[in-house]
Amino acid sequence: MSQRDDSQPPAASEDGTERSNAVSARRLTGPGSLEREKEAVFGRYWVYVGHADSIPEPGQFFTRNVGDRQLIVVRGHDDEVKAFDNVCAHRGSKMVEDTPMTDPGGGGRIQCPYHLWTYDLDGDLRSTPKSFEDASLNPDLDSGEVQEFDCEANGLNDVRVDTVGPLVFANLGDDPPSLAEQVGAAADRLESLPLEEYEHGRRIVSEVECNWKLFAAVHFDGSEERDADGTLAVDDHGWTVERAADGDGSEDRRPDGLEAQFHYCWPNVAIDVYEDVDGYATVALDPVGPDRVQLIADYYFRDGDLSEAERELVRTTRQRRAEDAERAERRRTGLEGGASDRLGSNDRTGAELRRLAQEADDA
Amino acid sequence: MTQWEQARTETVSPDITEPTNALPARYFTDPEIFELEKEKIFGQYWVYAGHANTIADQGRYFTRTVGDRELVVRRGEDGDVRAFENFSARTGEPVVDETPMTDAGRVDATELEDAEEVRVDSIGPLLFVNLSDDPMALAEQAGVMKERLEALPLGEYEHGCRIASEVECNWKVFAGNYSECDHCQANHQDWIKGIELNDSELEVNDYHWVLHYTHDAEVEDELRIHDAREAQFHYLWPNFTINMYGTADGYGTYIIDPIDTGRFRLIADYYFRDGDLSEEEREFVRTSRQLQEEDFELVERQWAGLKTGALAQAQLGPNEHTVHRLHQLAQEAYDA
Amino acid sequence: MSEQRHPPYAASCPDCDVDLESDAPNEIVDFYRRHHRVTGHDVAFTRIDPALGEAVDEDDLDEVYTLADVVAQLEGEYDDGAPIGAVAAAMSERGTSLGETLEEVHEIRMNGALYEPRDDHLRAF
Repeated sequence: MSQRDDSQPPAASEDGTERSNAVSARRLTGPGSLEREKEAVFGRYWVYVGHADSIPEPGQFFTRNVGDRQLIVVRGHDDEVKAFDNVCAHRGSKMVEDTPMTDPGGGGRIQCPYHLWTYDLDGDLRSTPKSFEDASLNPDLDSGEVQEFDCEANGLNDVRVDTVGPLVFANLGDDPPSLAEQVGAAADRLESLPLEEYEHGRRIVSEVECNWKLFAAVHFDGSEERDADGTLAVDDHGWTVERAADGDGSEDRRPDGLEAQFHYCWPNVAIDVYEDVDGYATVALDPVGPDRVQLIADYYFRDGDLSEAERELVRTTRQRRAEDAERAERRRTGLEGGASDRLGSNDRTGAELRRLAQEADDA
Repeated sequence: MTQWEQARTETVSPDITEPTNALPARYFTDPEIFELEKEKIFGQYWVYAGHANTIADQGRYFTRTVGDRELVVRRGEDGDVRAFENFSARTGEPVVDETPMTDAGRVDATELEDAEEVRVDSIGPLLFVNLSDDPMALAEQAGVMKERLEALPLGEYEHGCRIASEVECNWKVFAGNYSECDHCQANHQDWIKGIELNDSELEVNDYHWVLHYTHDAEVEDELRIHDAREAQFHYLWPNFTINMYGTADGYGTYIIDPIDTGRFRLIADYYFRDGDLSEEEREFVRTSRQLQEEDFELVERQWAGLKTGALAQAQLGPNEHTVHRLHQLAQEAYDA
Repeated sequence: MSEQRHPPYAASCPDCDVDLESDAPNEIVDFYRRHHRVTGHDVAFTRIDPALGEAVDEDDLDEVYTLADVVAQLEGEYDDGAPIGAVAAAMSERGTSLGETLEEVHEIRMNGALYEPRDDHLRAF
């Protein structure tokens, strides 16, 4: 027997609780919510930014927006993945163009096109044009008095990164707990898998007209896996649904014996390790506005060229996202119509998501 | 140093060799900053309103909004230009519709009888207004720029065309970009070909600065209206420039007109001997527009970086003393 | 089955099989920018406002159909410049993709021959 956890949250009472839930749902998904979350959620928790294998060579980089911040994620000469704000230390100009990890940029340095300040892969300022070294246009300053720019004090702003296997997370907070602490047990589960042996196969990006947390509640509830006798394990910042390898020798197990795993990691990414197909996917939810979310789904398979079964998997999961998008949009319309529904459904994962959103909002 | 922590910024140092020589970034990005500036900057200093030649005849007027105040600038029956709030105390309504100087209207003096008068003064044909109760003289704010411009026959030129572009950045970001040329080599490659940057000079005064860009010997610049073999760009705090390119018999003005904290309108006016543009003059305006578009791209990119909120305080270079002056003036205005 | 009103503009990314409908052509451009930023994919119009087709004079097309001409024809229809999305929609009728049109707009702007009286609204100089 599976140990499926069907525990329900405490039932909403028929008195004032419903109304206060509705009030809090409006606060958590209403017009001002995203601006608050840029600080309280995306400025504080570890956020998935991309896959380390997309930048295997030193100097390769991609960009990723987290809240209002725009990050460059780059592999250094020391082979470490680092992140910097895509903002020049001279006068704050954006430097590199938006560059998706599916088409990474490269080069041994980062240069701002405005005044050609140039940084190395550690973010240190390495060169400035001559006009920053003398005062030839300034009649009131002797070139001898010119201040020197310092490679570190005038370097780029470092952003904390850490990884779970090849999955790179960034944190914009001042003094965050470790990534391992946030991701919890899922980190061990994921790190025990050979995720780095897989290649990026497809990226599918779509948009849904609802709050990102509403879509997370609908789409990341793990119901598909749970319906198939998966076990739900709720952690501090997310949950995992797994199918135990029950050794019944059923024919749809993967040849390598790995069981299906679905991990939701607060705030906005899920990792789905498939059962019938040898591969996994990440789905990241990027809020575009309080009522619009961009879904970035990346599929990884043994080989970058997709087999028919892999193509079919992409099709069916895309279809499932589209169906969930419609459900989420309907639920949003219901909320706007004054329904007393809360952020998610009444089940355990919906309650967890509400708790996490509330916790961030209270902090 | 470059400061990335918002809590650790300092006010602009008057010494350009100090690492805190730039205005803290929040003064560019805070959504409320323009509200403050309406009072502290646009409510205090002389602000360019328009060109007297566009209202040459008695009774002609144009309107202009400064901060939140809509003004009517009108040529009186005595030949003098006066300015009024576009609001009648008697009717509680605006007196006239919005009317740009490029499409000047006519209004009777009696209609403005109940409207409050606003200070106006001029440099040659350039009309300035001041909303403060007790302003410094325009001559003081403009300094030597006043004598220099009045020595030129600016009034002999007619308005040729106006191009108004909306740009996605704080107005001071464009003002800073206009004021330095450390970005020119990399970003204005066509224009820089005719300029000897090493012989050029950026002159800074109390409330204005002049960019003297020396033409190289190859450039045919006989058409210029000023003496020196150079292009001369004058910036007058807070948001006016007059541009003498040296390669056309005419000049241009910019109003860097804030819409809100994150947007401004660049109102570019071009003046030539004759109001109708010749083919060469059109080509000249197109070239000037090319420079503008190149700068718009730079300032919008700078804005994209600034509004992420990552940077707290920039650090200016030794030849950005003009930008430094701009930042100091803004700081002084906020702190006043 | 209820009658559904279709917004006058729609676009899709064939690679991702996703689409967007909108009343405002510039929202299609915003969608393209968001989508392109993370995928590099182009986006194609699948429906454009019929009124837009009428605004662009078909008779002149063969001779003068450059992007600047389209802007010049469309800007008369709008108070403060032709929405860049409307220009892109008109160009898509001639087989130019949204991404290609935006690139060409940028190139012409950089020559000074197009300008934006309002953000993402174009006028020819």
